[in-house]
Amino acid sequence: MAFVAAIACLTMATAAAQGPATEWRQAQAGYTFEFPRDHAAHPEFKIEWWYYTGNLDAADGRRFGYQVTFFRVGIDPAPANPSRWAVRDLYMTHVAVSDPAGRRYRYAERLNRGGPGIAGAATDRYHVWNDDWTASLAPDGRHVVRLLEDGLGVDLTLDEGRPPTINGRGGISQKGAAAGNASHYYSLTRMPTRGTITLDGEVIAVTGQSWMDREFGTSFLEPDQQGWDWFALQLADGSDLMIYQLRRGDGSRDPHSSGTLTRADGRVVTLRAADFTLTPTGPVFRSPTSGATYPIGWRIAIPAEQIVLTVTTPLDAQELNTAESTGVTYWEGLVDVTGEARGRPAMGRGYLEMTGYAGSMGRVLSGEG
Amino acid sequence: MHLFHTFIVRRLAQERLRTATTILGVALGIAVVIAIQLTNASSVRGFETALDTMAGRTSVEIAGSGSGIDETVLPALGWLRDYGRVSPVVEGDMAAIVGEGRTEAMRVLGIDILRDTGIRDYALLGAQGAQGAQGAQGAQGAQGAQGAQGAQGAQGAQGAQGAQSAQGAQGAQGAQGAQGAQGAPVTTAQFLELLTSPQSIVIAETFARRHGLGVGSELRLVSGDRVQAFVIRGLLGDEGPARVLDGNFVLMDIAAAQLAFQRLGRLNRIDVRLHDGLDIAEVLPAIAARMPDGLTAQRPARRGEQVERMLAAFHMNLTALSWIALIVGLFLVYNTITISVVARREEIGTLRALGVTRRQVLALFLGEAAALGTAGAALGLGLARLLADGAVALTASTVSTLYVATAAVPPALDWGHALLAVAIGLPLSLAAAAVPALEAAGVPPTAAIRGGDTLETRFRLRPRLLVWPALLLGLAAWLATLGPVGRVPLFGYLSSFAIIAGASLLVPAIIFGLVRASRGLLRRALGVEGLLAHANLASAIPRLSISVAALAVALSMMVAIAVMIGSFRDTVTYWVGQTLQADLFISPGMRATPGVEQSMSAEVIAVVADHPDVAAVDTFRNTEITYQDQLVMLGAGNFEVVLSHGSLLFKSPADGRGALRSALGDDAVVVSEAFANKYAVRDGETVSLPTPAGPRPFRVAAVYYDYSTDRGVVVMDRGTFVRHYGDLPPTGLTAYVRDGADPEAVRASLLEGLDEGHRVFIYTNSRLRAEVLRIFDSTFAITYALEIIAVFVAMLGVAGTLLTLVIERRRDLSLLRLVGADRRQVRRMVVIEAGLIGAVSQAIGLAVGLALSLVLIYVINVQSFGWTIQFHLPVLFLVQATIAVIVATAISGIYPARRAADMGTVREE
Repeated sequence: MAFVAAIACLTMATAAAQGPATEWRQAQAGYTFEFPRDHAAHPEFKIEWWYYTGNLDAADGRRFGYQVTFFRVGIDPAPANPSRWAVRDLYMTHVAVSDPAGRRYRYAERLNRGGPGIAGAATDRYHVWNDDWTASLAPDGRHVVRLLEDGLGVDLTLDEGRPPTINGRGGISQKGAAAGNASHYYSLTRMPTRGTITLDGEVIAVTGQSWMDREFGTSFLEPDQQGWDWFALQLADGSDLMIYQLRRGDGSRDPHSSGTLTRADGRVVTLRAADFTLTPTGPVFRSPTSGATYPIGWRIAIPAEQIVLTVTTPLDAQELNTAESTGVTYWEGLVDVTGEARGRPAMGRGYLEMTGYAGSMGRVLSGEG
Repeated sequence: MHLFHTFIVRRLAQERLRTATTILGVALGIAVVIAIQLTNASSVRGFETALDTMAGRTSVEIAGSGSGIDETVLPALGWLRDYGRVSPVVEGDMAAIVGEGRTEAMRVLGIDILRDTGIRDYALLGAQGAQGAQGAQGAQGAQGAQGAQGAQGAQGAQGAQGAQSAQGAQGAQGAQGAQGAQGAPVTTAQFLELLTSPQSIVIAETFARRHGLGVGSELRLVSGDRVQAFVIRGLLGDEGPARVLDGNFVLMDIAAAQLAFQRLGRLNRIDVRLHDGLDIAEVLPAIAARMPDGLTAQRPARRGEQVERMLAAFHMNLTALSWIALIVGLFLVYNTITISVVARREEIGTLRALGVTRRQVLALFLGEAAALGTAGAALGLGLARLLADGAVALTASTVSTLYVATAAVPPALDWGHALLAVAIGLPLSLAAAAVPALEAAGVPPTAAIRGGDTLETRFRLRPRLLVWPALLLGLAAWLATLGPVGRVPLFGYLSSFAIIAGASLLVPAIIFGLVRASRGLLRRALGVEGLLAHANLASAIPRLSISVAALAVALSMMVAIAVMIGSFRDTVTYWVGQTLQADLFISPGMRATPGVEQSMSAEVIAVVADHPDVAAVDTFRNTEITYQDQLVMLGAGNFEVVLSHGSLLFKSPADGRGALRSALGDDAVVVSEAFANKYAVRDGETVSLPTPAGPRPFRVAAVYYDYSTDRGVVVMDRGTFVRHYGDLPPTGLTAYVRDGADPEAVRASLLEGLDEGHRVFIYTNSRLRAEVLRIFDSTFAITYALEIIAVFVAMLGVAGTLLTLVIERRRDLSLLRLVGADRRQVRRMVVIEAGLIGAVSQAIGLAVGLALSLVLIYVINVQSFGWTIQFHLPVLFLVQATIAVIVATAISGIYPARRAADMGTVREE
């Protein structure tokens, strides 16, 4: 699911995009994933992203979180203007680093069109870039993620770890009632990570676990879908849980909410909306910048799996205000998990993303734009 | 102070007319000097203001050479991000069609808004579709996209907006404009969305208001030879680049701009705004050092400096001219103070007898001069503003035709100019008044009793009077042989001043000689009044000399300039006849201005080439490049065609055509005479020109005559150009019609054959020749205007001098009346005197003017502009001017003549 916030640009209206928006390929059931091919760009779809989050530890015991997202949003599949600057796609990239102990949360953003090689995503191999920010697959099969700007950044090498988990059913993750409102969605849920992060100019060597989300499709939300609460959790018992709920304008929960539990042995359980509940436990973060109020404590219950988890965050203020690039405000940050799974105590770490608390997401994410 | 009031101020008030003429004369002199300053500043400032406005917070700009910058270099310049924000720019001029056949020049900025924010400010007032797809629907609402709109409207909060869009462009404008302005500020992404269509533009609200345009309106723009329709998607408040050229500003997406300008793949420059805290002085060399070949990093102001340098010679000449009027004006001050002293000799004597010291008398008259100078300065300042408006109007087209596209900024006076006016007016007035004021201080107390005018009236020809002029003229001749200082013909100007000074000193002797020679002639021609006039003049040579010298100086400048311009025009006419060989000259409908490229499209070239009566077509391209940090023109033409039609006139080597043939296929160029002179380059030598691949050596095959621009032109064969600069679209073409075809008919048929989407100017050979001379004449309009002012001031001087003479001779005049002369005869006598002064002045003016014209043509012009002018005497003009001058001075004698006639009736005490 990940960071769909930047899809604000979905609504980019170009004269050419008006009529033939159907030129973008819809996510349809029956898609067969293939790796590493699917790491590379899928320009026939309107939207796609490469999203990394991770909980990292420094040698001195300090703990950090990071988030990196490369976003491609198709604007006009076949621009009439032959100029290299004609906007076929927009590339947005966000990088954020959290330091709970130091109460620091820093982020940077970039927004570019492809232009003459300024930003882009290769189709023949995994290589995406936005100016000098890059994420790519090295010859040895590792992911290399490098973003640095003004004393903030990450320079990380990630092993793929366990095989990709395919979310949803039949190769698609359904997001709305209409047939095309879906995406192709897979996750690399536990990627051993090492490298450095840079925070306020300090370069810190770190190791830890990352989570990569990869999603591509053409239309996602529907107008009445206000936003979502999304979790990516790595539990100490070796299981990984991706779970989200879509919230409707009236506050109710959308039936297309879903999740995926990847067990320690690699077996994958797809969760439907009816299989789980996500409930705020009370603590909130009131953003002084956007005025939005985010529930930052959650209770996750998956009765069939006998899982009950409590999610808390060691750092309240992890809101991104992307006025510079997308104009969308959301909360995205590292979290801790405690609770019980199959009768045993469970604990772990993860990332939580909450959107739609500072304005409707569905409004800007609906349809073809 | 009291004395000054009663003695000087009251007198000035009584002599209203004389006071007024003097002040007017000084004022005109000062006004001309300041007006030319303002005018010169305005053309540069116009360019610089536009430059600043467009540059925004750009601290460093990366420029290419000739063909701009190949955009694929951008990823390799990623390191620039360490230094600041980087925004690639496509910029140029288009013409907006604002009415039936009316166009206005627009500055067009094409940027990637995602990279440009922070460098330039855009205050988006009204915008359509800033929130989403509905905007585009709104623009097309009238076309019937109702269904789609409804559907989208239903999708959410945008519904209301969609509905408003459906109501028509006007309704939507208000509502959406408000949202853009008051609602959530428009994000850069939303701004981008406004611009993504190649037809979308955002324009300045001031321009929109002037022409009744709004969001959703169509605006047709001419770029090169193409007429394209755009839709206004947003309006910009009066901030940032939208202020340029009074709001004649169009903002486009960089992709749309590339398409509209036919510049796919190319950028005009890359703007960099340094990160806060970086010092440009430290950073610029570092950036410059890392630039790949063919690119340079510079401050944006550099372009302003280059333009200033390019215009320096043009401005210098105007400045030199403007001082003539001032000098002439100062003769007036001298005159007036002299009159004042002469008329009140007795009173001065009385004052002295009453105990007023010499020093105080001196102070009185210097005070008068100071009062006149200050009043003149004040009035001059006001006049300067008016004259500057006129001068700007006269020079603006010259500057933009020949040098640089600039909207001359209305000249603005500031305290500096007021200070300058006083700084020029006051000391010079005092200096001019020094001689008569000293004379006044020397008046003995006895003068009150003795009465009478004992000022020197007799003239004796002393050798001393001939030595100084001879020395000065000799000096002038020597100075004329010296080379320029830098590129300023300093010694040329000094030589001119030496000629003027020498001739002025020679004036008494010349008058003496002429007076001697003309006595008999005058009696025969003009009877007794002529004889009397002659006698009067002969007896007042020292007094007269100043006025005659003033008038002669003004006239000599006029003669010199007339001879120079006449010769120049003659030379240009010959050159045009030799080099304009094609039958038709076709240029883009958006007139190209130096430095701003306008290209021809392939369709138009095809239409011309395919016309059945067109035998051959040749294309050429003019590009601006820098050579030794100066802006020069780089031309690319087909040397084969030049060879077969002989359309270049070679200066050297002797076999220019052979040299041209040798340049074919080689890295060789031909350069204009101005280029060769300016940069001291001769054929056979090598010049290093900037190319996209860095500086490259080119052999100079030949030097040719060119009078189209003094900036210096380098021409290479099209093949050579393409090899170094790429296959860029031509900026113009020439066509040769089939034998027997009528060029006018072909022209008409070509214009008819072009569709609505294209617009070109087509000149037939004869029309272009006329156009060249029209431009030539308009270039020199300012020169004539300045001269006429100087001559007018000199005429005021003649009137003043005659007045002095009349006052000095009031007893003689009474005597004349007593012995039977009637008023009419006295009047006639004084008018004849005036005419004689005019004639003498013009005679001297002709002689001195011819000498000056030689310096102008062979020294100053060659050194400032670098071209050869063939000497040619505009006889008819000189004859006309001579008659006009004599008549005009005679007319200027009418008022003194009236006074003289009145004088006779004054009863003797």
